[in-house]
Amino acid sequence: MNQTTAVPIRPLDAPPKRPPAKWKKHLWGYLFLLPAIGIFFTFLWLPIGKGIVFSFYHIDFVKGDTFVGWDNYAKVLKDPDVLVSVKNTLYYMFLGLVIGFWVPILFAIAISEMRKFQGFARIAAYLPYVVPVVVLYGLWRWLYDPVGPINAVLTRVGFDSVLFLTDKAWSMISIVIMETWQSFGSALLIYIAAILSIPRDWYEAAEIDGAGVWQRIRYITLPAIKNQIVLLLLLQLIATSQNFQTHYAVLDGGPNNATLTYALLVIRYAFTRQDYGSASALGVLMFIVLSVLAILQYRMSNRKEA
Amino acid sequence: MKAVERGIISDYDLKSPGKRALYYLMMFVVLVMVCTMLYPMLVIFFNGVKLNTEVNSFPPTFLPSEWHFENYKKAWGYINLPQFARNTLYIFAGNMAMTVIVVGFAAFSLSRMDVPYKRVIQYFFLLTLFIPPTTYIIPNFVNLRDLGLMNTFWALWLPAGANAFFLLLLKTFFDGINMEMFESGRIDGASEPRLYFQIAFPLSIPIFATLAIFVFSSAWNDWYWPSLILSSDERYPLATAIYKYVINVRRLDLNLRFAILSMITFPPVIVFLIFQKYIVRGLHMGGVKG
Repeated sequence: MNQTTAVPIRPLDAPPKRPPAKWKKHLWGYLFLLPAIGIFFTFLWLPIGKGIVFSFYHIDFVKGDTFVGWDNYAKVLKDPDVLVSVKNTLYYMFLGLVIGFWVPILFAIAISEMRKFQGFARIAAYLPYVVPVVVLYGLWRWLYDPVGPINAVLTRVGFDSVLFLTDKAWSMISIVIMETWQSFGSALLIYIAAILSIPRDWYEAAEIDGAGVWQRIRYITLPAIKNQIVLLLLLQLIATSQNFQTHYAVLDGGPNNATLTYALLVIRYAFTRQDYGSASALGVLMFIVLSVLAILQYRMSNRKEA
Repeated sequence: MKAVERGIISDYDLKSPGKRALYYLMMFVVLVMVCTMLYPMLVIFFNGVKLNTEVNSFPPTFLPSEWHFENYKKAWGYINLPQFARNTLYIFAGNMAMTVIVVGFAAFSLSRMDVPYKRVIQYFFLLTLFIPPTTYIIPNFVNLRDLGLMNTFWALWLPAGANAFFLLLLKTFFDGINMEMFESGRIDGASEPRLYFQIAFPLSIPIFATLAIFVFSSAWNDWYWPSLILSSDERYPLATAIYKYVINVRRLDLNLRFAILSMITFPPVIVFLIFQKYIVRGLHMGGVKG
């Protein structure tokens, strides 16, 4: 600064300036929070509250809502599809872990080790994530076709062709493979960032101490990305327990309800049967079950530590 | 010596044949992965320039035997792609603005400003993460209907500000910015919005670039939710339109279908390649080092 500024000097006997009022001090803080509070309330908490209310009502957009007590709950608990959808969802979550969860970790370690073309490999892995999923639905229907390229390779090698989508035993597996292929790139980026932030001297020190490559991965790399692994594990479990769009778009829950997930059943109740009350009841039931599981898990992990 | 250049495997390791083999095995696995990623991408493009009979032939061919670029011309006229693309961009722009202003402001306030009852407010936001979307997807739909937002972009824009995950990411990032920068800004008389836009925001470009990618990919990908709350061709985003008019119809020839699909595959790939630089460069960048 070149300009000289005259600093106003307060006479010594003047009373000290009063600190600004408390609300004024915090005014900006609250102003900054206000829009978010309003929007979170209107578009998250309000629907959540309404969901609980709706579950006791029969919703009719034309004639108005009528209170039906526990009828919605009784109805959905009697529905055999609910049990099927719960089983399917659990199976889907399980397959997601077995087929999909370890893939990004493996490739993150491998790619972070590459001396050349690292950026290229990273981009290639992420690429399917950038392609609109609707394109992938069209693409994979063709890939999985009984006369599509995958079956062409299988028959060439000498296997029987597989009805990936219409065979009940395969349909869920096919969906998980497709989703893993499509989305592991995003988890990969997170793992790679974590792996690249590990100080290189740790490996240097481990190597001098005689640790092999596997030991370095086992005792340095994996512990260093443990937080990311736990986080992404949780995120994957949450996401897979809620998923329905792929199942809806590729197979619409078929063949014979083999890919009917719980969320898809909720959607069916609401938009196929126009039964918004029962759909809300199913949603509340899921919330209750998940909360109970979360509390149990929390209790158990606390007991272990104690 | 550039110690940064080493990874888990050092140059010295590469001299031993076993570790060398391991290194090449890893590279091979990555190569296979890259091929399985790129093959379907290329298939989308190549199938779009084949004759319909060739797409349906068995065994399928990879490269087209004849190149029929006129498929693209036919596909272009099949649906009004520019209009749907424009809708998608509107949705992206609105959602991004909500993320920067609503979510960013809240994260900044929680992270860097002195607010009483901060913990309570934080729980108000973050508890929403623990409520499964399945619980409120239907009431949310009915709620938007009650608010009269059906078939408007606001039905997508406003809820975009209610993203606790982004809030958490931004808050964590702001927490990492040196407090002294804001203190000195305040001493120099900068107002709080100015601190946000002139210090916090520029320093957080990496995280905002990451969020931009998330927001873009959801605007570009989401087809189901927009198909519920929007109901006219003037509003449908690309993904919904493609699902409704391309994926879900049986009469459309496969080669034309792939031609359309490849046309909407390229733009996001290009956008991604532009933003990729920012993510990689800035994931762990802080304002003041040390």
